[in-house]
Amino acid sequence: MGMQTLRIAASGAAIMSTFWPGLALAEDGVEFFNGKTINYIVATAPGGVYDTNGRLVAQYMQKYLPGSTFVVQNMPGAGHLLGTNYIYASEPDGVTFGTFNTGLLYGQLSGDPNIKFDLTKMSWIGKVASDPRIILVTKESGIESYEQLKTLKEPVKFATAGKGSASMIEATMFVNALKLPIQVVSGYNGNEDQLAMMRGEVQGVIGSRSEFQQFVDEGKGRFIAQVGGTETDVPQLSTMVDDATAKQVVGLIESQSGISRLSAGPAGIPEDRLKALRDAYKAATSDPEFIEKARALGLPVDPAVGDEVRTRVEKALDQAPEVINVLKEALSEG
Amino acid sequence: MIETMFGALFNLVSTPHTMGLMLIAVVFGLLVGVTPGIGGKLSIAMAIPFVYGMDMVAGAVFLLTMHAVNGTSGQISSIMFGIPGDGDDAATTLDGYPLAKQGQAARALGASITASGVGGIIGAVVFAVMIPVLEPVILMFSPAEFFLIALLGISFIAFLASGSKIVKGVIVGFYGLMLSTIGMDPITGTPRYAGDMLFLWDGVSLVTAVLAMFAVPEMLALATKGGAISAAPMDKAFSYRQMFSGVMEVPRHWWLVLRTSVIGSVIGMIPGLGGSTAAWLCYGHAVQSSKTPERFGKGAIEGVIAPETASNGKEGGSLLPTLFFGIPGSSGMAVLLGAFLILGIQPGAMMVTKHLDLVWTLIWALVVGNLIAVAMLLVVCRWIAVLTFVNGRMLAPFILVFVTIGCFVSDVQWQNLVVLVLFSAIGYGFQRAGWPRSPFVIGLVLGGQAEASLHQALQLWGYSFFLRPMSLVLIGMIVALMIYAFYRNFRSGNGQPSVEVNT
Repeated sequence: MGMQTLRIAASGAAIMSTFWPGLALAEDGVEFFNGKTINYIVATAPGGVYDTNGRLVAQYMQKYLPGSTFVVQNMPGAGHLLGTNYIYASEPDGVTFGTFNTGLLYGQLSGDPNIKFDLTKMSWIGKVASDPRIILVTKESGIESYEQLKTLKEPVKFATAGKGSASMIEATMFVNALKLPIQVVSGYNGNEDQLAMMRGEVQGVIGSRSEFQQFVDEGKGRFIAQVGGTETDVPQLSTMVDDATAKQVVGLIESQSGISRLSAGPAGIPEDRLKALRDAYKAATSDPEFIEKARALGLPVDPAVGDEVRTRVEKALDQAPEVINVLKEALSEG
Repeated sequence: MIETMFGALFNLVSTPHTMGLMLIAVVFGLLVGVTPGIGGKLSIAMAIPFVYGMDMVAGAVFLLTMHAVNGTSGQISSIMFGIPGDGDDAATTLDGYPLAKQGQAARALGASITASGVGGIIGAVVFAVMIPVLEPVILMFSPAEFFLIALLGISFIAFLASGSKIVKGVIVGFYGLMLSTIGMDPITGTPRYAGDMLFLWDGVSLVTAVLAMFAVPEMLALATKGGAISAAPMDKAFSYRQMFSGVMEVPRHWWLVLRTSVIGSVIGMIPGLGGSTAAWLCYGHAVQSSKTPERFGKGAIEGVIAPETASNGKEGGSLLPTLFFGIPGSSGMAVLLGAFLILGIQPGAMMVTKHLDLVWTLIWALVVGNLIAVAMLLVVCRWIAVLTFVNGRMLAPFILVFVTIGCFVSDVQWQNLVVLVLFSAIGYGFQRAGWPRSPFVIGLVLGGQAEASLHQALQLWGYSFFLRPMSLVLIGMIVALMIYAFYRNFRSGNGQPSVEVNT
C-alpha cells in the first residue's frame, strides 16, 4: 500500500516535471546557490550610479537566493572593458556575473579589437532601467527649442565625459548625424559637466535624463529634446528629424537607452542556474523596498528580465552599414 | 543661527546612540586608513549596507566620521616605515620617515596626529564660514585654473630639490611627468604606451607607484643595512614627553597650520582638483615659506605638519559642494553622496534653508570625530612607535607582505604586482644613488591633471585662456615662485649649504 502510494507520487512527480520542466530545473538551480559565494563584478570604481545600482541589485538578489552570499567586486578600468572582459572570460558556472556600461554596444558594433566578448552570447540576467537621453541647454544660453538650436549661426559648446566614453560617442554621433551647430568639449568626469554649465563655459549637454532632472528642476536649464522614455513633457527627437541616416542613428541610441544598468554573465551558464538567477533578479527588482531605495537614489527603475533583454541587445546590435559608419566616424573623432 | 549651531552640538553629544556609532566609526576609519591600498571610498562603499536601517542623522554622522578620520591614521605607516598609503601620505613621508630614523617617531607622530586633527577642525570651520559664498568661489575655478594650479604644484619641484640636486630633481620630476602620460590620451582617445595591456589604460596606479618608490626601497635598505629604523637607541627621552613635544609643535607653528588648513579646505572645495594636490601644494608651500628650507627632507617637523593639516582640512571643504550642489569634491565624497541619498538626504540649495540643523550636525561630527581620533591615536601611538626600535630584518618581511597586499587590493589587478617590482627596482636605484624621489610623485600626480585640464581649457577658449583674470594671478604666482627659486639656488651656490633631499 505504502509502496503503491510512493509509486503514484513518484510517477506524479515525473509527470509534473515533464509538464513543467522549467519548474523542476529552477528548483535545482536555486538549490545550487545555497551556500555559494557569488562574485558580482561592477566594471567601474566605487561611487557613481553603476556602482550604487550594482550594489543594490546584489543586495536584493541575495535576499531572493536563499543561502547565497553576494560579494560586490569593483573592477574598474578602460571604460568598463576590463571588468566586462573578465566577466566574459570567467567560468560559466553561475557564480560570477556583473554589471557594466551599455555603451560597450558601440564598441562591439564598431569592431573594437580590445573587446573580448560577444554581447549577443552573454547569459543575460536582466536590466534595471531605461535611461532616456535628452538634449539639455542652460537657461543662460537663451535657447528655447530644438529648432532654435539647429538654426543657430554661431556654434555653442556642449560638455561630455572623456574621449572614447559612451557619452562622448553619443554626443558626437548626434552632432554629426543631425548636423547640429555644437562644439563638443570632452573631459568632464562625473558631475563636472553640471559645474561647467553653471560656470557658463558650456551651454549644454547630451546625456541621460535621470542625471540632469534635478538640474532642470532647479531652473538652471531646460530639456529641448528626448530620445526614448515614456515622458511626454519633452518632444521626442525622432519626430523632429527627416534624414534617413539621422533617423537610424536616433533609433540606435533609442534602443540602447531602453537597456540600462544591465546584469549579465559569461556565455553558457547552465539553463537551470540562469533561470534561478533571472527569477531572483525579477523578484529583487520588483521588491517594493528595492524600488523605494532606487527612487531615493534617483536611479530610474524600469526592469526587464532574461530573454527580453537579450532580444533588445540583439536588436541594438543589428544596424545598417551607414549607421556603423557614423559611429566609426564619431569614434575616430573621439 | 547660534541656537541651531549649538543645539546641533548638544543633540550630537547628548545622544548616546549617535556617540556610540561615532566611536565605532572612528575605530573602523582609523583601522582602514592604516592599511595601504584600502582607500576611504572602498570602506564607505562596504559600510553602506549597515546604514540602511539607521535614521538620517545617525547614518550620516557614522559615514562622515569614518571618512573624515580615514586620512588621520594613514600617516602612521608613512612616518614609521616610510610607507605612504596613497598620494597624500607620500608628502608626509618626506620628513616623517627621516624623523623616525632619528629616533623621533613619537615626536613626529605627536605632531602629525595633532596637525591632522587641527586641520580637520579648521576645515570644518572653513566649511561653516564658506556656506554663504560657496557658489561664487567654486565657480571661479574652471579648467584653465586647474591647469595653472597643477603647474604651480609642479613648479614646487624647484624647492624640493634645490642646490646641487636641482638637475637630478628635474630629471626625476620629468620621469614622473612622462609616466603620467601612460594611459588613455585625453586628446585622441587612444591608449598610449599601454601595448595590449588594458590595465594600463587608466594610467599607472598611483598607490603602486608610491609604494614602489618609497616603501619598498626603504624596506630593502633597512633589511640590507640591519639594525632598527631608528638610528638612535631608545632612551629615556622616548616617552610621552617626546610625543608631547611633538604635539606642542602644532601651536608653535600655528600660522603655518592655519594657512595650510585653509589652502587644503579650499582645494577640497573645488571639484575636479585631486585630493593629493592639497597635500603636495601645502608641503611645497611650507618649504618655500620656510626660513631654513634646507632642513626639509631631513626631518623638518613643518614637513609633517603641512601635508597632514591639508589632507584633513580638505575633507571639510569637499563636503561643501557635495551637500549643496550634489557634486562631490572628491572620489570619497562621491561614495558618501550615494550613501546620503539612501539615507534620504537630498543635496541641493535646500540644505541651508530646510536642513540647517543637519548641516551643523555634520560640521560638529567632523570636529568631534577628529577630536576622538586624535585622542585615541595619541594614546596608542607611543606603543606603535616602539616598532621603530625593533630590528629591521624582522620587520621588513612583514611590511613587504603588507605592501604587496595593499598594492593588489587597491585595483585588484595582478599586473600591478609586476609594476610594483619594476618600479621598486628603479626606486631602490634612486635611493642608493641619493636621487630625490618626491618630484617623481609630484610629476605623476599632477601631470595627468595638468594635461587633461590644459586640453579642456584650449578647447573652450583657445590660447586666450591665459588672459582670464584668475589665470593671470596664478601665472604671476608661478613666475614669482620661479624667480625666487632661481635666486635662492644661485645664492646657496655661493657658500650656503644646499638642500639635501634624499626622500
